[in-house]
Amino acid sequence: MFAALVQGPIVRLVPVGVLLLALQRTIFVDVRIDGVIIPIMTIAAAATGVAGGSEGGAIAGFVFGLMFDLVEGTPLGSTAAALTVGGAVAGLLALIAADPQWWLAALFTAAGTAAGVVMVPVVRIFIGASEPFETRLGDIVAISAAAGAILSPLLVPVGRWCLRIKKTEWKGAANESAPTV
Amino acid sequence: MAIYSVGRRRVVIALLLTSALLLTLDLRGSPIIDRSRDIAARALDPVETAIGVVTTPVSRAWNGIVRYDDVRSENEALQEQIDRLIGTQAAAEAAVIRSQELQALNNLPALADIDTVVATVIGEGASNFDQVVEIDKGRSAGIAVGMPVVNQAGLIGKVTSVTDNSARVMLVTDRQYAVGVSVTSSSEPFDVGATENTTPSGITPEDATNAVTTTTSTTTTIPEQGTAGGQLPVPDTTLPGGLPGATTTTLSPLELAALEDLSNLPEQERADLEAELEELEAQLSTTTTTTEPEPVVEKETGALEGRGARLLPQIRFVQDAPQFAVLAAGDLVETAGGSESLAPPGIPVGRVANRADRAGSGGPLLDVELHADLDRLNFVRVVLYRPLVEVEQ
Repeated sequence: MFAALVQGPIVRLVPVGVLLLALQRTIFVDVRIDGVIIPIMTIAAAATGVAGGSEGGAIAGFVFGLMFDLVEGTPLGSTAAALTVGGAVAGLLALIAADPQWWLAALFTAAGTAAGVVMVPVVRIFIGASEPFETRLGDIVAISAAAGAILSPLLVPVGRWCLRIKKTEWKGAANESAPTV
Repeated sequence: MAIYSVGRRRVVIALLLTSALLLTLDLRGSPIIDRSRDIAARALDPVETAIGVVTTPVSRAWNGIVRYDDVRSENEALQEQIDRLIGTQAAAEAAVIRSQELQALNNLPALADIDTVVATVIGEGASNFDQVVEIDKGRSAGIAVGMPVVNQAGLIGKVTSVTDNSARVMLVTDRQYAVGVSVTSSSEPFDVGATENTTPSGITPEDATNAVTTTTSTTTTIPEQGTAGGQLPVPDTTLPGGLPGATTTTLSPLELAALEDLSNLPEQERADLEAELEELEAQLSTTTTTTEPEPVVEKETGALEGRGARLLPQIRFVQDAPQFAVLAAGDLVETAGGSESLAPPGIPVGRVANRADRAGSGGPLLDVELHADLDRLNFVRVVLYRPLVEVEQ
């Protein structure tokens, strides 16, 4: 069990999550776009989903969300559930292309980020929050998704590293799925 | 690339169910989770400090680029505000002292009697869905969940979670925030047509109008010692906005003649009265009596609720009863207090900015412009107040 834990993605996801959380709570609180905070944790979960599929994205989203909930004081599990969905959605979309080009990966990351952001108020409905939907939800989703697309070239490799996916694996998978003449 | 399978779907479902389980545990209140939060906050603190040091120049550069125009216009507005505040500060201080003396005389709870803890804002919420800030004082300073937080301008929020050395404050603008408030309306609820009530008994409004020469307004009040009617404030319509102001009246010979008809009195008493009358006549012909009525202050209570960033908080459940008070833009809003309220009465919150009437019995909705600027919080005070219900327990 210990070996499985050490060899699993958690060992790399936690330190990366700590760094991202520190960035989220410092620079990304100050650097807002039209008053919207860039959800770097959500983007990272979606990028990991693009890199490692829905399972990897869900695990990354769960770990990042749990860390966010612990430190931010939001109900434990609320952000974790939202980011799990965000990572899984990005992973599912990534199945469309075995080795997506950078712009396709950016698109998938943006979609996963949008799903993760929308899920936050949805989860809060289930825990009894009154009127959890922000009036600017559209702006928040659009800006977050755009930021996700921009940051994906940086965060997809990070997600790949977290999930210990070697280059030969994903390149090999791409070659296998390529049409043969 | 990974292929989607039932096994992978199970992983996602298992993680979602784990989230639901953790949510249930947390919402029911778990000391283990509370402890975990403390440990996580402490573990992250050094990393956050280091990252903060590294990224501060970037943040400053960004703010310098993006907010330059805002800062400049804000500077000008602040300078104007300072000039205005200097003029009103002395009067405000005197009013506060008078208010505190009155509260002490009446044994009413005053805000000044409640201990406070000064704290520094060390962080803002990292989510787009929560309006929160973090302060550097916590349980060790006596802070507990639910305590109201204020700054020099007024109410800013309440404590929602607390660790040993830090606490999170939910701002008034958060969608989950609600507090009981009272709206103080300084508008005049009585109309001018009700001036019949202000005339002394036995004199018709017409007689009174003839009897009184009003130098500043259409008021019909006759100063009469010992009667409530003479003390009711009447709006001085010459003042802007119909605010209650000074009323100047002079008695005419008609009323003096009426007083001379008191022939049923005994000789000695009549002689005394006549002497007094002569003196009064001499005085009233030259003296102007000036009264300064207190402004009519009426209060309505409702619930102030946050509506998210960039939207003004709103007061609901206000009774629209014009016979008691007419709620309008500019009215003052302060906490209402109460045995179960988390905030003591009298904390200034803001002013009514807009009034939106609703059909039916829902009452009006009042947008509130907060006194405190929640975008720029540096130092705050946590009011160490516990609701009476909790104190009794």
